[in-house]
Amino acid sequence: MKPGNAIEVKNVKKKFKVYFDKGSQLKERILFRNRNRYEERWVLDDVSFEVKQGEAIGLIGHNGCGKSTTLKLLTRIMYPDSGSIELKGRVSSLIELGAGFHPDMSGRENIYTNASIFGLTKKEIDERLDDIIEFSEMEPFLDNPVRTYSSGMYMRLAFSVAINVNADILLIDEILAVGDVNFQAKCFNKLREIKAQGTTIVIVSHSMGQIEQICDRSIWIHEGKIKAEGNPREIDKDYLDFMGQKRQEIAEQSQKKDEAKTMVAEEIETRAEAEEKKRWGNGRARFREVCMSGKQSDRQRVFATEESVKIRMNYKVKQKVQDAVFGIGIFRDDGVQCYGTNTRIEQFKRFDLDKDGEVVVNIEKLSLLPGKYTLDVAIESDMATPVDYFRQAYSFEVYSSLTDVGVFRMEHQWEV
Amino acid sequence: MKHLREIYDYRQMIFSLVRKELRGRYKGSALGFLWTFINPLLQLCVYTFVFSIVMPNNIDKFYLYLFVGLIPWLFFSGSLTGGAASIINQKDMVKKIYFPREVMPIAYVTSNFVNMLLCFIVIFAVVIVTGGGINPIAICYLPVIMVVEYIMCLGGAMLTSALTVYFRDLEYILGIVTMAWMYFTPVVYSIDMVPENLRPFMNLNPMTPVIVAYRDVLYSKQVPHIRTLTSGFVLGCIVLIVGCVVFQKLQRGFAEEL
Repeated sequence: MKPGNAIEVKNVKKKFKVYFDKGSQLKERILFRNRNRYEERWVLDDVSFEVKQGEAIGLIGHNGCGKSTTLKLLTRIMYPDSGSIELKGRVSSLIELGAGFHPDMSGRENIYTNASIFGLTKKEIDERLDDIIEFSEMEPFLDNPVRTYSSGMYMRLAFSVAINVNADILLIDEILAVGDVNFQAKCFNKLREIKAQGTTIVIVSHSMGQIEQICDRSIWIHEGKIKAEGNPREIDKDYLDFMGQKRQEIAEQSQKKDEAKTMVAEEIETRAEAEEKKRWGNGRARFREVCMSGKQSDRQRVFATEESVKIRMNYKVKQKVQDAVFGIGIFRDDGVQCYGTNTRIEQFKRFDLDKDGEVVVNIEKLSLLPGKYTLDVAIESDMATPVDYFRQAYSFEVYSSLTDVGVFRMEHQWEV
Repeated sequence: MKHLREIYDYRQMIFSLVRKELRGRYKGSALGFLWTFINPLLQLCVYTFVFSIVMPNNIDKFYLYLFVGLIPWLFFSGSLTGGAASIINQKDMVKKIYFPREVMPIAYVTSNFVNMLLCFIVIFAVVIVTGGGINPIAICYLPVIMVVEYIMCLGGAMLTSALTVYFRDLEYILGIVTMAWMYFTPVVYSIDMVPENLRPFMNLNPMTPVIVAYRDVLYSKQVPHIRTLTSGFVLGCIVLIVGCVVFQKLQRGFAEEL
């Protein structure tokens, strides 16, 4: 191991056997040997990284990408199929809080049991007892059996034990959601303090905010390989963008399925009926197709905040519409109207519709913040007569790598 | 060596597991901890009835002869059968957190050992009341014999606990195996009753020298033969080494198999 390193992971590979029908009895093993069919799946494929002493790194990636497996390999719950993992110093893991808690024993007794599982001796636990109790804020309940605790109290006690082990390396798996806001803040401060003392920290989390606050480096694991590594602010953003695109793909697929479904005759009717409720007007002109296009496709369902977007409305004219007005409205899924406008408001020159055509709204920067939205479109004629009002003509989602709040992002600059 | 050191670091965990095991074992039963004594005493009654009333033999004070062999035997068979489940019973912990896995069988065997020590209080009472005293020099060998048996039990429990993770049936097979094993060990009879030509096979059984040594000390009140002790020790070490090696090999896959 290189000096100054706390963790070295070299060319680690790990595969899982995914059994279709697993028999663990001797009988099943022998008699049905051929039935023990399984598929091998590489969860980690040649992963290597190093962590310096006192450094904090975050492992990110989508569900099932192998980040929790990495953590399990680091704790030595599992072993790699090839490659090597070296750790220097005492390891404490905040993976399974409250392991070995006995519901009938008091909080105090459980502190001892639980701490002993981290490899502390009685003397070491005695030394830490006051810190643990103080941190957990559980003093008044310590002599009650743990089964009388609320789940929040339970987790608080467990977290306090784990964090006071004074390990050289701390491994954390998605558990910073302990207790109320105050306790969470306290946990965070404690983590910072521990980090300042030179403890090496590895965090697995889906909360980019947490990672950015604590970690010096992010490692993005994708399909068992390291996809990117570096400054959390950059990596996390790339990761969120990637996930957004992924959602788009999924949304497209389900959209296709929906479309396939509507081919069934009965459903066409019910859908038409449902659509009628969302649609009214004298029908002199009708929207044929409404869609939104972005960077990736012409019928995109997921957009990034500040992406450039086009709303296309294709229409058919049955009878001439005089003094036509086109309008759009965007609503969030909780009913908040986020934006609405039409050509009359924007003082367009009057125009008539006499043949089929297409209207396009160009939005240079979609400033909506993350959420689910629907788009309403409308054609009116003179005297505000509805020609075709089409509510929820299109639905879409917005994601963002920033976590600013509200409905939309105002253009702004800070001067500090 | 590093591994031994690590297990030593986890001694507090072993202590608290042993305490939990001892306190929790008979939890909820009316007689509670008394079962530690009642269970072997009832077995003693059954065997005494069969082997000294139904099928009488010429061993003097057969109940005592049987008792000093039966208690250590129960420690051994309990370690094998109960120890087999020691890992799978804690599968939630094994799957989610790290600790040297040996801690589990060690804690189980140790708690059984403590149980046996408590039963020895009864043995001493019976020996003093009915057997007419104790040979103080012979008694000095008792701890040695106990340590040898402990080593053997630990090796056995490590073997069964690790194998059971992979073959669940083993837990039940062991019930029959230990019953048969008892009859191949001079627990209810004396080694002298075994035909001469079968004795070498009896001596391959690691429990034979252990039981014989206990009898020498507590029943015959004599210092056990040095050959009995060494063969017991050597066999015990072999069992422990095999147990450790197998355990080491198999434990890497515990989290995935459970």
